[in-house]
Amino acid sequence: MKEMAENKSPSAGVRGWQIALLVGIFGLIILFYKGLWGNPSFIPPVIVGTAAPEITAPDLYQPREVTLSQFRGKVVVLNFWASWCLECKLEHQNLLAIQKRFGENPNFVMLGVNYQDKEDLARQYLQEHGNNFEHVRDLKGRISIDYGVYGVPETFVIDQNGVIRHKQIGPIVGETYTFLVEGLIEPLLNGTATTS
Amino acid sequence: MIIELGHFAVITALVLAVLGIVSPIVGLKRRDAVWVEVGRQAVTLNFVLISVGMLAMIYAYLTHDYSVKYVYATSNTKLSIFYKIAGLWGGHEGSLLLWAWVLALFCMMAVHIHWKTQPAVMPYLISIESVVLTGFLLLTLFLSNPFERIFPVPADGKDLNPLLQDPAMVLHPPFLYLGYVGLSIPFSFAMAALFSGRLGEEWIKATQKWTLAAWLFLTIGILMGGYWAYYELGWGGYWGWDPVENAAFMPWLVATAFLHSVMVQETRKMFKVWNLFLIILAFSLSLIGTFLVRSGILSSVHSFATDPGRGLFILGFVAFMLLLSFGTLILRSAKLKSQIEMDSVISREAVFLFNNLFFLVALITVFVGTLYPLLVEALQFKKVSVGPPYYNTVFMPVALGLVFLMGIGPYIPWRKASAQNLKDLFLMPSLVALGGLVFFLAVGIRHSYALAGLTVVCFVAVAIFRDFAKISSFWAKREQVGRLQGFLTAYKKNPRRLSGILTHIGVLVMIIGIIFSTIYQTEKILIMKPGDEVGLGSYRLKLIRLYGAQGVNWEAQEGLFNVYKGEALIAQLRPQKRFYTVSQTPTTETAIHQVLMGHVFVTIPEVSPDGTWARVRALHNPLVLWVWYGGGIMGIGVILNILRKTRLKVTAARPQAAAPEGAVSLPRQAREEVLQHRSNRWQSFLNAVRPGRKEV
Repeated sequence: MKEMAENKSPSAGVRGWQIALLVGIFGLIILFYKGLWGNPSFIPPVIVGTAAPEITAPDLYQPREVTLSQFRGKVVVLNFWASWCLECKLEHQNLLAIQKRFGENPNFVMLGVNYQDKEDLARQYLQEHGNNFEHVRDLKGRISIDYGVYGVPETFVIDQNGVIRHKQIGPIVGETYTFLVEGLIEPLLNGTATTS
Repeated sequence: MIIELGHFAVITALVLAVLGIVSPIVGLKRRDAVWVEVGRQAVTLNFVLISVGMLAMIYAYLTHDYSVKYVYATSNTKLSIFYKIAGLWGGHEGSLLLWAWVLALFCMMAVHIHWKTQPAVMPYLISIESVVLTGFLLLTLFLSNPFERIFPVPADGKDLNPLLQDPAMVLHPPFLYLGYVGLSIPFSFAMAALFSGRLGEEWIKATQKWTLAAWLFLTIGILMGGYWAYYELGWGGYWGWDPVENAAFMPWLVATAFLHSVMVQETRKMFKVWNLFLIILAFSLSLIGTFLVRSGILSSVHSFATDPGRGLFILGFVAFMLLLSFGTLILRSAKLKSQIEMDSVISREAVFLFNNLFFLVALITVFVGTLYPLLVEALQFKKVSVGPPYYNTVFMPVALGLVFLMGIGPYIPWRKASAQNLKDLFLMPSLVALGGLVFFLAVGIRHSYALAGLTVVCFVAVAIFRDFAKISSFWAKREQVGRLQGFLTAYKKNPRRLSGILTHIGVLVMIIGIIFSTIYQTEKILIMKPGDEVGLGSYRLKLIRLYGAQGVNWEAQEGLFNVYKGEALIAQLRPQKRFYTVSQTPTTETAIHQVLMGHVFVTIPEVSPDGTWARVRALHNPLVLWVWYGGGIMGIGVILNILRKTRLKVTAARPQAAAPEGAVSLPRQAREEVLQHRSNRWQSFLNAVRPGRKEV
């Protein structure tokens, strides 16, 4: 393919791909160099204890927008998930259990954020595995970027003042579940929470 | 002491590797064969020295010498001998030593095999391979030294990562290295061609089998990784688009494209720059893959230690190699204009062009997906990840296109196909595929990718079968024998083509396996108590009881499951939630029962502390074995391809001087020729390099 281009306009064609190749190589090297100073398993600590970024996103089931600020004054559990994510399935029953336990409390809201997914697959997933709380779609990955999500599942606990109190990476199973329910959400709802 | 001996041997190897870069070049400049011979001996000696280093490390593992820091970090007295040795590549330091060792081995083999047939490019090859080896030895010795000692000496080792304590996983990294490093030989030949100006088809022919072997190793490595993920990680899937998986997949994609496009250069002398570009790209991606994996700049299931210093060094090395190789290509490209233009879009060369385009699109997809998180982070200081939906969206159509081309490429004529050609070749496969489509719809297959995939597989299978039938009967008639004999004759006449097509058959089998095991997978995730049952397609799974179990270096909670088909008990499965006591790591042990060509697959990712319930993940994966059977058939095809006899033409720089060597076609004569060649190797080298370089 390159050869054909060269035959038609030897000098211009040759120069074009050569420059593109060089630019590409240098771009890559610079990108890698910058990447070296990041740490992939590093979670920005600033996010816990700071105000939760605002969310405006379409509801998965109803034609309406959900905003985070409408829940101000409530404890919000924000769970990022996707139908293609294996570990999400592992924690799903526990999420349902959390909602069952606190769902009656008017000061508690659990919100699922469907991440990088297809709408029909997301719905199918909830139908198969059960659902008892509200979900929104993260259409452009904007919410995930705002929250610094780099993989699913991730779960955020936001207090009544809209401050992020905890960030959980990975599935809520075993001890994590106990900690989240008894050590975090319950004290927050009862107003007995110390700093977390 | 033994460790110090090994350490010293590897340090000496570094010195010799530097010598191996310089002396062949000096030899070329001074037209003095002695310098080149020094380079050649350095290559051999390097292999011996690095082997000494490897053996010293293995000795330390077997004698439980935990005063060696790396042995301490990756081994334990309780491990079996197999895993003790495997500890060598169970971490960063040892993997790099293994890399260097394989590189030295391959380089020695290449020099030995090609010394007499490719004398003119050998100095370049030695020099370039030595550059790569120097890079890896520097990294090994200065930034991640496996020979380092610690004091006080720990009583016992920290244990090999439990996830690695598995046969498939133990062999997965070495096979990938064999593949990565194997690509360095065709790469070096390509670079040698660029430097020496011998840019004809020689380097392509000389490196055919090297590329095939490297491709085979990469394929085995990737499949083993997939199998490991399938049952050891308990994914129940074999491919997750993990960045580290992608790092191995990218060179594989380019190597596959290269294996196809070289045929165009061999037959039609086209795609010259393109082939050089592809092989340089393939090896560069091996190096980039090493960088991505070893610097830990991407988050992945493969958790490797991160160390910016180490990453910076590898980056420097990768940058140097990229600029050296692509830079040379750019400078030399003006000389490489192809004289031949494509005659028609309906021709075999056009099919190869599309094949390459598709592979490149696939590569760009994976490349962008893998690096996008890095780019976002660099620009916005935020973290993102790219999920499977992104890859699948682009990948599925490209894969379908590639499979379709598999049914056309081998059969369509070179240059230009006529309408009559096309009708003869593809009318019947198209009709059968159409019939297949109707059949699949009738049996209730509705998923669009499954339908498209199976229809395309039909088309290709019929095209292949028709071709087999045609050539079999052709040779049967001509030799007056039966059809099967005719087929064997056809194979003998053209083993390359037929073994290639066998590889294609393997691809078809694998694709059927992938379609059924992903689209028609049944998955249930639920909490079960003893006595509970769950339906799984036409199977039923009943949890009988949960209890404790113990191994040499682990404790576990085990579940006993009965698998029923109808009312009949067909199997008992015992998945475990295992806990490795030394390293304090939990793992999920999968239990699998084979049904037809598929699997009933059970894991218990979570068991309640009091043992009254378990979280169960149960899967029925129909035809999943076809994925690996397909891989096996692909492998056999490639092995047959590698084993076929080839006559390597002796090509010296001066055709006149090489005149007697034109007669090397007879084996006996060839042997004599070689013997003679050896005796005056020096003289023949001088003949080869002394006259002015010839531009091909």
